[in-house]
Amino acid sequence: MNEILIIARKELLSVVRERRVLLTTLLLPMLMMPLAMFGPLLLLGNAARQTQENVQQVGVVGVPAPVLAHLRKAKVEPVAVANPQEAVQKREVAAALVYAEGQYTLYGRLSRGTTQSALVVEKVQGALQAYKEELVAERLRARGLGTELLEPFRLETKDASPQEEQAAGVFAFLIPYFLVMFIQLGGMSVAVDATAGEKEKGTLEALLAAPVPLTQVLLGKGLAVFVMSLLAAMAAITGLLLGSSVFRNLFAVQLQALQREDRPVQLGGALALEPLGYLAVALTSVLFALLIIAILISLGLYARSYKEAQSYMSPLSLVMIIPLLFLQFSDFLKLQDWYFALPLINVLLALDAIVRGSATATQLGLTWLSTLAFGGLALYLAYRNFQREDVVFRN
Amino acid sequence: MIEVVQIEKAYRKFQAVRGISFEVRPGEVYGLLGPNGAGKTTTLRMLATLLKPTAGSARVAGFDVARQSLEARRNLGIVNGGMKVYDKLTGYEVLDFFGSFYDLWGAKLKERIGWAAELLHIEQAVLNKQVKDMSTGMQQKIVIARAILHQPQVLLLDEATAGLDVFARRALLDFVKQYASLGKTLVYSTHVMSEAEEVCNRVGFIHQGSLVYEGPLQEALELGSGNLERAFIRRLKEAA
Repeated sequence: MNEILIIARKELLSVVRERRVLLTTLLLPMLMMPLAMFGPLLLLGNAARQTQENVQQVGVVGVPAPVLAHLRKAKVEPVAVANPQEAVQKREVAAALVYAEGQYTLYGRLSRGTTQSALVVEKVQGALQAYKEELVAERLRARGLGTELLEPFRLETKDASPQEEQAAGVFAFLIPYFLVMFIQLGGMSVAVDATAGEKEKGTLEALLAAPVPLTQVLLGKGLAVFVMSLLAAMAAITGLLLGSSVFRNLFAVQLQALQREDRPVQLGGALALEPLGYLAVALTSVLFALLIIAILISLGLYARSYKEAQSYMSPLSLVMIIPLLFLQFSDFLKLQDWYFALPLINVLLALDAIVRGSATATQLGLTWLSTLAFGGLALYLAYRNFQREDVVFRN
Repeated sequence: MIEVVQIEKAYRKFQAVRGISFEVRPGEVYGLLGPNGAGKTTTLRMLATLLKPTAGSARVAGFDVARQSLEARRNLGIVNGGMKVYDKLTGYEVLDFFGSFYDLWGAKLKERIGWAAELLHIEQAVLNKQVKDMSTGMQQKIVIARAILHQPQVLLLDEATAGLDVFARRALLDFVKQYASLGKTLVYSTHVMSEAEEVCNRVGFIHQGSLVYEGPLQEALELGSGNLERAFIRRLKEAA
């Protein structure tokens, strides 16, 4: 046990002396989490507000005068264009409106989601809707009828999702991904340094010649990687908790401006769990860290150099992106319990369920047991790798 | 103190070491001489328990290198030319780290570090520097200090002067003679014959994994009419 601590201490001491590693392992997750959760939203919110407040040019063809007046009222400047589609494509105008034979056709650059053109299209749609409502009201009045005729009943939609899910916000599905990513990234630099780095620098042989059993060398290195992984995860959670609170208070007005009036939701992403929920997140993260460090150390030992180790480890981050894509649509999927026995994927699913407050005991039990089993297997493989002379002296 | 009996090492179809036997007694410096790729490093790594022999046996300080590897390691030190120590640690931290594996703590550790520093001419101020800020020669001295901190009965030196300047090389050769004079057992592996002539009592010529000659230095010199390099080439030609 003593040797394990001595080796872990040495690895951590080397890390502490490397400012670059400390920055990427501890500071980056702390800053990244709130920025990733709220940064794009605030940028988008700011851009949307500016688009609303400023006047944009919209190409028009055959549009009647009353509609032009509505467009101007909606802060849009109509300009005559010969070819509306081409004018939009060449960005001469943000959108274009054509009227012919009782039909309006609206052109905008819509294939990239939320663009300035899309926001201007919404402004034009709003102006047309206002004009339409004005016409309908006029016609109803001409027939001696009121507009209440069009609204036979009122509809109110209320969010019935669990409290945790409501508080987590619309970007909550990103939290598990960032958490596992930082656990992996936090451990990666130490894992590379403690394995392939030692080989490349020529320090491993001296350590292996010391009277320390191989298991203790492996566990000592693993412990150092584990500590850094968990510190990175804690930094990420701290960043998320502090950052979301700061952002939601500091930019309350801007975030409010982004809300849909008919269905208000918590924007960004944050954690708001019961103590047991935090405990579940911690346990899932610890077990995942065990699994990932065993994989990282195994790969690092096999590699000849830093570069080779990094090239083996980097694809792991890409592997994590695949389940993330599914997480976005997890509500449409019928989650089977056995999904929670699949390595790596189960951790993302379980963290997502905890964050949303929908995790069941079976799902969490399966995740923890299978992650522990896979972690044990990975650790055993790392030990076997460490025993192989052709791997240790492969440099 | 070192007994090697018909030791072999094979990697799949490649036979790196072929049935080597020799003995080294306390106070002796045994020169294991041969060109690059002859099998010197593999032999020393087997003695240091870093590699497992595929046949034969070896005992270091009375312990079987395959079956009692931890006990053997407690009684040996190894230095090779490519060996380095942790560059972000200070010299003192490196010695503290390795010393703790041999139950060297507190006052005892300080006393041993002082002893090794004096033997290798390392100034106290240098020990407080991070290894990356030291000269190559000084780094090599820290590597050696690490290997002798527990005062091992057996010291294995593999191309230990590689990359060293003339002053550092001289200091190392002087240290080898001084350490042997303490009654320690040394194996000095090199392809530089002049170094072997200076520090070794007995020599073994290794070629393509086989020991083609073994005997006292004086006898080897006579074989080459007073020149070890000539003796080495002559013996290798005879073996071919």
